[in-house]
Amino acid sequence: MDNFEYILETEHVSKNFGSLSVLKDINLKVKKGEVICIIGPSGAGKSTYLRSLNQLEKISSGKIFIKGDLFLHREKDHTVERIDKKTQQKLLLEMGMCFQRFNLFPHKTVLENICLAPIEVKHEDKETVKKEAMELLKKVGLAEKANEFPNRLSGGQQQRVAIARALAMKPEIMLFDEPTSALDPELVGDVLQVMKDLANDGMTMLVVTHEMGFAKEVADRVLFMADGIIAEEGTPDHIFNHPENPRTQSFLRSILNV
Amino acid sequence: MKSFLKGLINVKNWKKKTKVTWIIVLVVIAVCIVLSALKPSEADMKAMASEEMQAMIKADEGSSRKRVTVTYNSLIIVNYCSFSTSGAKEVTEKYVGFVGHAFQADEGFGKFAGQMVNYTYRMLGCGENLLHGAKLTLLLTTLSTAIGVVLGTLLALGKISKNKVLSKVCGGYIFFFRGTPLLIQLFVIYYSVPAIFGFAWRDLFAVGDTQAVYKGAFIAALIAYGLNSGAYCAEIVRAAIQSIEKGQHEAAKALGLSYSKTMRLIIIPQSVRRMVPPLCNEFIMMIKDASMVFAISLMDITTISKNIMTSEISYIVFLPALIIYLIITAFFTWIFNAIEKKFSLYE
Repeated sequence: MDNFEYILETEHVSKNFGSLSVLKDINLKVKKGEVICIIGPSGAGKSTYLRSLNQLEKISSGKIFIKGDLFLHREKDHTVERIDKKTQQKLLLEMGMCFQRFNLFPHKTVLENICLAPIEVKHEDKETVKKEAMELLKKVGLAEKANEFPNRLSGGQQQRVAIARALAMKPEIMLFDEPTSALDPELVGDVLQVMKDLANDGMTMLVVTHEMGFAKEVADRVLFMADGIIAEEGTPDHIFNHPENPRTQSFLRSILNV
Repeated sequence: MKSFLKGLINVKNWKKKTKVTWIIVLVVIAVCIVLSALKPSEADMKAMASEEMQAMIKADEGSSRKRVTVTYNSLIIVNYCSFSTSGAKEVTEKYVGFVGHAFQADEGFGKFAGQMVNYTYRMLGCGENLLHGAKLTLLLTTLSTAIGVVLGTLLALGKISKNKVLSKVCGGYIFFFRGTPLLIQLFVIYYSVPAIFGFAWRDLFAVGDTQAVYKGAFIAALIAYGLNSGAYCAEIVRAAIQSIEKGQHEAAKALGLSYSKTMRLIIIPQSVRRMVPPLCNEFIMMIKDASMVFAISLMDITTISKNIMTSEISYIVFLPALIIYLIITAFFTWIFNAIEKKFSLYE
């Protein structure tokens, strides 16, 4: 089962909005347990890339492999390998996602938010799911909020619930799309702490972020994206202290001088 | 639903305004009960007639051809009795009963009050069958809006679906029913459809049924109003569904929920609250639109008031009609507001 080299692999992933090319031939190989932070100026295609990994954006061409199995294949001339829907759904569930704006279901309580997908998608036993959900809530430090509605929580609390909700599906890869960008500064710390704990537990993570401190501390690898390509990649030390690409240099200069 | 009922029963948690409203309602009901107990009985009212009239009524007993028509109406706190003779010499006597007294109602304010009681009584359809007066309006409105909501939800889901044929068909339906007058739609369903397919609406009911014509017309009206309401409800439902943030779809998709489950568990429950105010509006529009059934001779409030106007040449007949419509719409507005508040729990 676990005889794959890379848990996530993208080959030649491109995406066009009409004539505008947002992603240009992106290749990435991610090992199990790796934490990858994606940084870059806005409009670089960071979020688009992350969202195209779990089909929220349709890619124009390229291949995506998950755990060594082909998950998505699209070519401009439509000569593609057909992928079984069931396999695709199974592979999709290997990825959990957290959004900038949390996107909790406002008509359901915190606990219901977390339990919904395991019950409805995986058809797991309700009581077991509830127990596991409570444990996840404890892990993110919100056990006492289980029966609150999301709008009663602060942004940071909502994001932590969103993380718990994604984790309830027991994914092997977590995708974070600017998880702290919509938060008040004093609430960012709690969310980052939860993410750090998650990284320490060995979760494979792809994080689009503007939190350079987090990237420096937690990331195994940092990707700098600009104009739809990965302009530079390397260890945090390499990217933040010895960037080679002039674009990386100017980007870091602009954000560190704020 | 359970919590909704609990909330209703839990008096302690009520707001002051709700309590005051209920106290007023209960006081009004109590006063009505007292006044209705005090009003003269039917026998008392019938005994009011003059000696001459009493003699004629007595003479009528046993004879096959009645000379005196006795009308008795009772409207909760007021009642009304009239005696009229037909033939060469027309004599009428009218009386209004209120709080233990019967007043002559042949002229002045008494006449006005008597007419109001009589007209309201007839418009409400008291003592008549279900398809009469206000009962007809309520039945038609409720049923056709129910059809409209179900049909409208299906049409809305069809219109926003990715299937282009389905989307176009549903869009075309909505375009057609919103783009043509309801009255013509009613005529088409009632007259044209039977003419084209060679049947009559009354054939739906047994041959001996004296009400078959009305029941048939009611079915035709129900279909026309239901189809029309479906088109309007579809737009309400569609707008509500599409007003839900895109992030909700994305979150559901990222969790692996299918399109139908996303709709059923995430999107539609959230959009219901946003549908309530415009659906309330649609329902109230429907109450008023239901007055068009006078065109196919169904006996609703409007038809009855028009009939009274032509037969009795009484032009104040439309006042009680207005008041009845106003009371019905006020009642439903109140109910819908309560529902709306309950749904706003999480927003």
